[in-house]
Amino acid sequence: MAANDESQSTGTADNLHHVTSVDDVDDGERVVVDVEGREIALFHSNGEFHALSNYCTHQGGPACEGLLTGTIDVDEDDELVWACDDEIVSCPWHGWEFDITTGEHLASDKYRLPTYDVRVIDGELYVEF
Amino acid sequence: MSSQAAEPDTVRSLDDLDVIVDTDFHLTERQADIFPYLEDPFYSLLNSQGEGDDYGYLGRVYPAHGMVYSVTVGKADSPTVRTSEDVQKGKDLIEWDKAIATPTQNLYLAAVHHDDLAAALARAYNKWLLDNIVDTDEGVYGALVVAPQKPIKAAELVDDFADESGIAAVMIPSGSVHPPLGNEDYYPLYEACERAGLPIKMHNAAGTMMTRFPTQWQSLNRALPVHVTSHNMMHQVNLADMLTQGVPVRFPDLDFVIQEAGLGWYPYFMRRFDHDYMGAKFDAPMLEKEPSEYLRDQFYVTSQPVEGADDPEYLNSIVRLFEGENSLMFSSDYPHFDFDYTDALMKILRSEFDGDEIKNIYGETAEDVYRF
Repeated sequence: MAANDESQSTGTADNLHHVTSVDDVDDGERVVVDVEGREIALFHSNGEFHALSNYCTHQGGPACEGLLTGTIDVDEDDELVWACDDEIVSCPWHGWEFDITTGEHLASDKYRLPTYDVRVIDGELYVEF
Repeated sequence: MSSQAAEPDTVRSLDDLDVIVDTDFHLTERQADIFPYLEDPFYSLLNSQGEGDDYGYLGRVYPAHGMVYSVTVGKADSPTVRTSEDVQKGKDLIEWDKAIATPTQNLYLAAVHHDDLAAALARAYNKWLLDNIVDTDEGVYGALVVAPQKPIKAAELVDDFADESGIAAVMIPSGSVHPPLGNEDYYPLYEACERAGLPIKMHNAAGTMMTRFPTQWQSLNRALPVHVTSHNMMHQVNLADMLTQGVPVRFPDLDFVIQEAGLGWYPYFMRRFDHDYMGAKFDAPMLEKEPSEYLRDQFYVTSQPVEGADDPEYLNSIVRLFEGENSLMFSSDYPHFDFDYTDALMKILRSEFDGDEIKNIYGETAEDVYRF
């Protein structure tokens, strides 16, 4: 997922869509852009870039504009622990949580935000579809 | 909203609707909004203490529910609705033509531990509501909020405010009302609403409902309300806690049997729990699948008492909705006064369920569940 290495790019000019420059998205930040009519959020998190649809599968809220945080999990002793820091985005409408690295909804595998591969070419960010 | 509907009997989108009314459009008023409208002695008393914390009821006049939830931790936005401009933003999003504004903080009014202050807060809230929110030109109506702790003052409030333009209802913050709303204490309030021609809305707040549940139970001085509500309410509380704490995950080989609570609440509960869980996985981190799946896999329901036995369509659909062909087990409750004769349930279910499913309900499932 989100192989951000130029050398891994298999994209062609037709399916690569320029988003912005790498320098414009510091680690921990995100941009939401309109690409060919699709609202796509591009996250820079923990050194990786991830791109997801900004349309919540629940009721259509701007899922990727919500809080970027972690979640509570349980360890092997059933103790509550903080997990996935800065990798969980919560839709601001109803708090539905998605893993930005996979698009998966935390509570149910019936729901998932579409994700896009991100390419870094000459310091520029592209999404592929 | 639409000009000319080609197929008047078909509603495909909001555009096919003539009018949209949001009957529970919430404001998110804070103490700071209401306090300037308080009458003495409370105006002088409370406004001398400074502004307090922004969220208002945390540790102050209104009780807090103490929950860590999506809004509290910032995962859901829950925009503030405290001005006409805020209301307009909500209208733009929800696309209603008319809405009845109801409070948020004042859903907790019935749990305020000072009856006279509660009555004063109700009066202040309604003044604030009329001054700042209600706007009939924009379809914004309001519900008068009354403090159930002081029914006589509540009736006076209705008399005083009922004729104000844009007042569409009276709202009782019904969570934790004590005694329950059938008590004669409330009759003056009801009479005032009747005089005013205003309907009564009852709205609980999740955080207040249980604060007086045990004493409310004692105040139910007849058998009917106890019998109708107690079984299913207690089961819902226990099941919700067991699921949230991961009991079926910790004990995957354990089966649980729910008895004597009726059936209709059960598919409701499954779906309500799943619905809430979708936005709050962090609050039940033990769970590895949706709550209803645990109920379907490890929980069983016994049949008696079966409500709606005179309505086969209802009963069959309810049993299907919780996959009762796998989890419902016949029970009679004999010799209690409301026992079911053996074939009463079967006569209904056999119009929907095939032979194998009826056999499950009538014994096969129990053979699996119990160690005979």
